[in-house]
Amino acid sequence: MDRRAFVISTAAAVLPWRIAFAQSGWRTFEVTTRAEVDFAEGVSRVWLPLPLAEDTEWHRSLGSAWSGNAARAEVVRDGKYGVTMLYAEWPAGQAAPRIELTSKFSTRDRAVDVGRPDANAKALGPAQYAFYTAPTEWIPTDGIVRDTARGIVKGASSDIEKARAIYEWVVDNTFRDPKVRGCGWGDIKTMLETGNLGGKCGDLNALFVGLARSVGVPARDLYGIRVAASAQGYRSLGVGTPMISKAQHCRAEFYAQGAGWVPVDPADVRKVVLEEPPGQLAVSDPKVVAARKRLFGSWEMNWLAYNMGHDLALPYSKGPKLPYLMYPNGETGNERLDQLDPDAFKYAIRAREIT
Amino acid sequence: MRQGFLAALLLGWAALAPAQALRAWSGGTAPPLELQDLDGGAHRLADYRGKTVLVNFWATWCAPCREEMPSIERLRRALEGKPFTVLAVNVGESARVARSFADTIPARFTWLLDRDTQTAKAWRARVLPASYLIGPDGAIRYSALGALDWSSDEVRKTIQGVMK
Repeated sequence: MDRRAFVISTAAAVLPWRIAFAQSGWRTFEVTTRAEVDFAEGVSRVWLPLPLAEDTEWHRSLGSAWSGNAARAEVVRDGKYGVTMLYAEWPAGQAAPRIELTSKFSTRDRAVDVGRPDANAKALGPAQYAFYTAPTEWIPTDGIVRDTARGIVKGASSDIEKARAIYEWVVDNTFRDPKVRGCGWGDIKTMLETGNLGGKCGDLNALFVGLARSVGVPARDLYGIRVAASAQGYRSLGVGTPMISKAQHCRAEFYAQGAGWVPVDPADVRKVVLEEPPGQLAVSDPKVVAARKRLFGSWEMNWLAYNMGHDLALPYSKGPKLPYLMYPNGETGNERLDQLDPDAFKYAIRAREIT
Repeated sequence: MRQGFLAALLLGWAALAPAQALRAWSGGTAPPLELQDLDGGAHRLADYRGKTVLVNFWATWCAPCREEMPSIERLRRALEGKPFTVLAVNVGESARVARSFADTIPARFTWLLDRDTQTAKAWRARVLPASYLIGPDGAIRYSALGALDWSSDEVRKTIQGVMK
């Protein structure tokens, strides 16, 4: 290709993207995570989740930048799930380790009409099908999980019908427990065995994923953080301030032939029940009914997606695996910092909309 | 006032940051790089075969990117006349925004635009600044994540070693 031809072809490739981007509801945000180790003892390490690496129809990462006094920083990945994170390290004796990560990304609302086949839906290959129906360390797909799921999907034939049945069951049988720290770790076997089906998104959406996988419906959790208020009128499903240090939220998807990956969020239905003013709404409340209908097949994208990973071993750490990476993590002197306590760790996460 | 304070704090952090290091590359062959400059001219990494090339991914909103730019220019001047060039790839911003920054610093780089961020993603430049040192044979020899003092003797000697 000569240079003139290259210029023309490049311009042709870029222009439609720019026009489409401006016209199709994309919003751009900046999220800044500032982490500090207050009482450093020995080598200090911090792991910060990065925005989802893959471009999708609803998310585009525009890049990240870091500053601070780390002696070493690098982007590292967890092999099995490809979770990427920024790793920073300080030697023993470093006073006041600190790092600030700024990430820019664009999102737009996402909706899938499961009643209308999508000719452009990507097929799921056998390897991916196996991957997204496999158990994780915290999400088994046998025993009580499979027995429960089989009872739920009795009479359902398609993957969409099975997923719908599981979604309705999770909404009807679980509750949001405000006493759970963070988002909950998703120990779904214990939840089912004890009959205590209270939790938060990390529990309730993991329950959806485990039940779906156990009956052969590919499903996955996505971990992220809310970055803005809900434009759909739900005070409980957004953040009202730029400070979002405790706004982590995970969601779920299932895969259906002809529809592709379908977004769902039964945990947010239960959040509406508990928290939407005036609080403790009945399941029959119009706000709950609307949220329940909307959250099977759509996500409002006032939310940053980080990753889909489970059972993460943090690189360079000898500490225990994490069920997922949704919070800043750190350790000093080989002792893990409390990722669920931003004030003690300490870290602060801020968000602002740029466009 | 508050924004000014935060900006000053950020710059202060960047200034205090210890020097990152060039790291020997073990990540495989260089992905393609075919981009336009600020005036619409086409550039391909392959066109620079025979030269040592510093590919620097940056953005105007990235404080450490802005911080290290003057040292890259000092490096370029120190190697002037030698087969060395700098491709400064702006990630995700418009020509107008990139030019507004480029015009503020007296740097004679080749300023390229990765408007849709696909080149940065292909190069796995997920955190900025991300820099790659390409040898005369077109292979990546070193990389750096984060701001670096490119005008240091150590870095210059490493680059001169690649040029041989």
